Amino acid sequence: MSPAPTSGANHSGLRSQLSLAIPAEAEQIAQATDAVLACLANLKVEEEKSMAIGLAVQEALANAVTHGCQNDPSKTVQCELSCDEGGHILIVVTDPGPGFDFSAAPKPVVQDVYNDHGRGVFLIRQLMDEVSFERGGSIIQMWKF
Amino acid sequence: MDINMQRRSQVEIIQLRGPLRLGPAVNEFRQALDQSLSNGDTRIVLDLAEVPMIDSSGIGVLMKSLASARQRGGNIKLVNPSKFAIQTLRMVGLLNLFEVFTDADAAVASFA
Repeated sequence: MSPAPTSGANHSGLRSQLSLAIPAEAEQIAQATDAVLACLANLKVEEEKSMAIGLAVQEALANAVTHGCQNDPSKTVQCELSCDEGGHILIVVTDPGPGFDFSAAPKPVVQDVYNDHGRGVFLIRQLMDEVSFERGGSIIQMWKF
Repeated sequence: MDINMQRRSQVEIIQLRGPLRLGPAVNEFRQALDQSLSNGDTRIVLDLAEVPMIDSSGIGVLMKSLASARQRGGNIKLVNPSKFAIQTLRMVGLLNLFEVFTDADAAVASFA
């Protein structure tokens, strides 16, 4: 797929820096997130920005594994990291599932605060600068500027 | 995830080390809290000084355990959460539900 930023920002020179394919099981997610964090460190991304991206990746992978693949390790989740000349970071997480209506995800602050789930998508939107869903929600594209 | 548990003045101190994320880390964290709560130890101090990241599944376990502790007259108090952990809890509107301390002794004493 070709990433298509919607902000109107100039993302010239976008280059792939990391491409991961992991079996859809929870145990694989942290390792993939750590690979993304290591790649960001190599790119000399500042720590605060790197942590925000890392947590957003963690949440996107968790959604893909849990909702997109129903924790079926025979299925594969892909994660790609690209960087443009301006240092803007693009993350794309893809799962083979039917998708999910992320626009219907409620804000956790209006939910029961003691709920043990339902905060992932909200966190992604807070942590990243631009988030879009494609193919019914089975592809999430996230930019950090 | 390293988890160290110790008891002081009828307060359970749980010290975590490592990112608190979906998978083994959150599973071990859930087991530690469930163990404390099922033993009737509802006064819990959670030392987060060495937890650089908490994801939504970790937050979920924390909130479920907080509800359980408070229902039984106890509480969960936080010690030294990292800057990013504080930022994350604030982002999801939960930071103000916790008392936050800079050291475990003060957190333990606050239960007296």
